[in-house]
Amino acid sequence: MSEPILKINKVSKHFGGNIAVSDVTFAVEKNRIFGLIGPNGAGKTTLFNCMTGFVPITSGEVIFNYRKINNLRPDAVCRIGMVRTWQRVKPLSSLSVLDNVMVGAFAITGSAGAARKIAVEKLAQVGLSDYSAKLAGSLSIGLKKKLELARVLATRPKMLLLDEICGGLNHTETASILQLIRDVREEGTTILFIEHDMKAVTSICERIVVLNSGVKLAEGTPSEITSNPEVIAAYLGGGFDA
Amino acid sequence: MKQALIIALFALFTALLPLIIGEENPYIIGIMISVLMMAALSSAWNIIGGFAGQFSFGHAAYFGAGAYTTLILISSFELNPLIGAAAGMVVAALIALVTGSIVFGLRGHYFALASIAVAEIIRLSVLNFEFTGGAQGILLANVTLWGLDLNSKNPFYYGMLLLLIVTLTVTEYLRKSKTGYYLQAIREDQDAASSLGINLALYKNRALLISALLTSIAGSLYALYIRFIDTSAVLDLRLSIEIILTAIIGGVGTLWGPVLGALLLVPLAEALRSNMIGDALVKFGLVSETSSVGIFLNENLAHAHVLVYGIITVLCILYLPKGILGLFRRVK
Repeated sequence: MSEPILKINKVSKHFGGNIAVSDVTFAVEKNRIFGLIGPNGAGKTTLFNCMTGFVPITSGEVIFNYRKINNLRPDAVCRIGMVRTWQRVKPLSSLSVLDNVMVGAFAITGSAGAARKIAVEKLAQVGLSDYSAKLAGSLSIGLKKKLELARVLATRPKMLLLDEICGGLNHTETASILQLIRDVREEGTTILFIEHDMKAVTSICERIVVLNSGVKLAEGTPSEITSNPEVIAAYLGGGFDA
Repeated sequence: MKQALIIALFALFTALLPLIIGEENPYIIGIMISVLMMAALSSAWNIIGGFAGQFSFGHAAYFGAGAYTTLILISSFELNPLIGAAAGMVVAALIALVTGSIVFGLRGHYFALASIAVAEIIRLSVLNFEFTGGAQGILLANVTLWGLDLNSKNPFYYGMLLLLIVTLTVTEYLRKSKTGYYLQAIREDQDAASSLGINLALYKNRALLISALLTSIAGSLYALYIRFIDTSAVLDLRLSIEIILTAIIGGVGTLWGPVLGALLLVPLAEALRSNMIGDALVKFGLVSETSSVGIFLNENLAHAHVLVYGIITVLCILYLPKGILGLFRRVK
């Protein structure tokens, strides 16, 4: 077992009386593709928001690369190497596709020339080169998701948090994004992957954590998870006594 | 290439204009100074309002800081006008940094609201302090700098032109740099921007500071040019709004939009204010001077420029959301 790059230690997040995430603990090993799944409202995105500094954690700790990052601002989290994408894509709509990726690349360089070079490279990697000059707002949802990916890759992350990057895509698009994610992992980036679609997750993840109503329900390999009766119950609904 | 040639010809024409018009036509030069000043002010506002998308409704505060500081230092301490202008920049920078560091921690419309509040606090303070001349304002009888004849308009024409060129150069440099990209990312989506490593408050403060410094220089030049200032001339909310409208009508977030806006709106306002349009209608026999319409126009058209600004703005927002410059871009 290789060392963990990310440790989530008893993390809870309460919104007033509403408990969105409760006492969740898991660790992600370096260079893994790790899945975070669960039904709607399970607390997956909230957990991402907690990890990346967008909402403060109620209790517990997030340790990234041996450093406690509970109180870091989102931009600082990005600069130490953990970058997220958004479930609802957030393109910089009135900038060109190339400029969008350049904004990402400026996280690692101060020079516009160098940023452009990185951006061109990343656009080629995700297959968006032909769209460089188009306005980001004019792309289809599938291409916007690829743009999100190119933009975060341009920051040279140590770890990527992908929030339903395949949501709303067709089979071909999903397959090509999954292949991209495998390639990125080969380059040494650790991936934490939120996904709704069980098939996508089990086909790509080496280890999976299941959240349900803010609580960790199970953790294991894809085959362990898919045969776990509690997980099946959570996905198919309660009161299913088989 | 073609664009560079047009800009070069335009710059040459602008530089030679006082020689073409000559000293005997101070009225035209005066209007041109107003055009250049509004172009510079609107371009400076564009850095924080257009590129970073943080709408400041209080840029009169920075303009007034430059104007008041310069004239107070000259009239009370007989300091060199340049020292006065430099001190004005320091005051403007302090106002910008205090406002920014308090408000930029928040999202949404807080900055717009706070910028009005800060500008109004400053206006009311200046109106009630003694050393600022209170409601009477400050009148400066004479000012000298390096033997230049500051009673002539030409030095101020070239001063404003230089300020506009500096402002446009800064804008263009920013636009192509990391800071410019970051400001535009902030304008487009703050969550996306911060998740990509952008320190929102730092970059907003930086943009506001640059914008405030340039605005304060315009204020200093204006004060030395007019040599009489009061709060209604340099600290009024109306000035802040005219700066914004000029940028919106010309094309917000573009390099040349604010210049185009100033070129159209300042002469238009002047024509209305001096009743030029009413006079023309009479002159061409369209309206009789003694008819009820003629009397109505004569009495009311002079006050109509704010109304006209308003109508043009509404039309722009409805039909030209990218300003008049956006119209040319679309054709191209």
